[in-house]
Amino acid sequence: MNKISIPIGPHHPLLKEPLSMRIDISGERVLGGTLRLGYVHRGIEKMAQQRTYIQDVHLIERICGICSHVHTSTFCLAVEKLLEIEVPPRGQYIRALLCELERVHSHLLWLGILAKHVGLDTVFMHTWHDRELALDIMEGISGGRVSHAANQIGGMRFDLSPEQEELVRLNVEKLKSQVNGVLDVIENEPALRARTQGVAPVSADMIRAYCVVGPVARASGVDVDMRRDDPWPPYDQLDVRVITRPEGDAFARTLIRVLETRESLRLCEVLLENMPDGPVAVRSPRKVPAGEVVTRSEAPRGEVLYYLRSDGSDKPARVKVRTPTLAVLSLLPEQLSAIHVADIPVVLAGIDLCIACADR
Amino acid sequence: MVDEIQIDALLAKIADETGCQLERYSGILNEEAIIIPADQLRAAIGVLQTDFDCFHLSTITAQQRETHPGEIELLYQFWHGQGFALLLRLPIPAPEVTSIIDLIPGADFYEREVAEMFGVTFTGRAETPRLLLPGDWDQGPPFIRSEETDE
Repeated sequence: MNKISIPIGPHHPLLKEPLSMRIDISGERVLGGTLRLGYVHRGIEKMAQQRTYIQDVHLIERICGICSHVHTSTFCLAVEKLLEIEVPPRGQYIRALLCELERVHSHLLWLGILAKHVGLDTVFMHTWHDRELALDIMEGISGGRVSHAANQIGGMRFDLSPEQEELVRLNVEKLKSQVNGVLDVIENEPALRARTQGVAPVSADMIRAYCVVGPVARASGVDVDMRRDDPWPPYDQLDVRVITRPEGDAFARTLIRVLETRESLRLCEVLLENMPDGPVAVRSPRKVPAGEVVTRSEAPRGEVLYYLRSDGSDKPARVKVRTPTLAVLSLLPEQLSAIHVADIPVVLAGIDLCIACADR
Repeated sequence: MVDEIQIDALLAKIADETGCQLERYSGILNEEAIIIPADQLRAAIGVLQTDFDCFHLSTITAQQRETHPGEIELLYQFWHGQGFALLLRLPIPAPEVTSIIDLIPGADFYEREVAEMFGVTFTGRAETPRLLLPGDWDQGPPFIRSEETDE
């Protein structure tokens, strides 16, 4: 049968963000594909070198519209290490609380997209309905639903009042009970299993070869999570349960997100229960001493890395950002080979693309 | 979860394998680095994979330091229980290093980004298509400093 190349994107109903793919098919089989990124490349690394550290916190927040807080957390952590200052415990806990809520909303968003792609519109609506509550909680904390402007170098820009803290606690409890129903359905729904089980399996060896991170790696049995493996406070005081599955298929990638959503909500409760008193930030100088630092965090999609070099001024000399989607995307052409055309949306949804992150 | 890599043992093994005198670079907080000659990169990665079972390349960070404007510095940043890096220095105007995508396929995007942003040539690849810059970008590698760009 003849080989046909189908261009998908950069703008396509299947994609929430611009990405160009050329997929080679023969009949109903996909033979492989190639990718082209860069449609939302904003030159953020270069821009960050032309702005002050204080301005950069807000610039870095714009890398991603889903996991904006983990980016600023990792960046601030890098600057704080160079400044040799430590965020007060209460600030650390609020920072981590937002990171976990961000993971919950990111995973629920992704589960909804997968459900939509496989035709389970009810699940899509329920997960996105529950995600609204996660966004409401974050709005209650920071005033922002996706861009929180919560971090500053040295801690958090605001504290939680006792009333806010109580409201967050109640809403996390509500979200936990609300989301359990739809997560149970996702775990047990035969139609979802039929569409995802055995689809595009990825071996642990393949994950290692392509340096894949996050839930996609853990769904192939690779036991890695920066919250446990390279923790910044308060993760070093938390018992983060890293969830892995051995199967490596689209169903395993789904289950990982379901179980991680539950685990993140548990961590939210732990953080709220043990929330320390005291200040949330310390003052930081405008200029940063010369030096270099690397910080890593576990974003919803996996390891995010910041390399920062200071020349002693108030602007960084080099900022390098490696987002998890870039690591995961390199696997996509491999994953696309030898699947059915009808499974392309499942594979694309399965890796949880964030093109804005990858493009920076 | 993997055990932390022993940097001293790694340095000794790479030095043994390549026959080169190697130096540690301890200027990076949270990450030890080993300075290696560019032509020994593949040998060093061979040691990492064969003797230390280390495969995870987090990224390749490139930069041109103000103090060394005549070279591009590449940090091959790995993770194996802890972060560590192989540091290479490539002379300008023709920075060149051998590609490692046959050893680490996941390095493809990182090499392409360094190639377009810093003008580094990765030899041994069939092609190095652009990753992020537009197809009609004609202003040279955006991160390269020159007297004109500094002005």
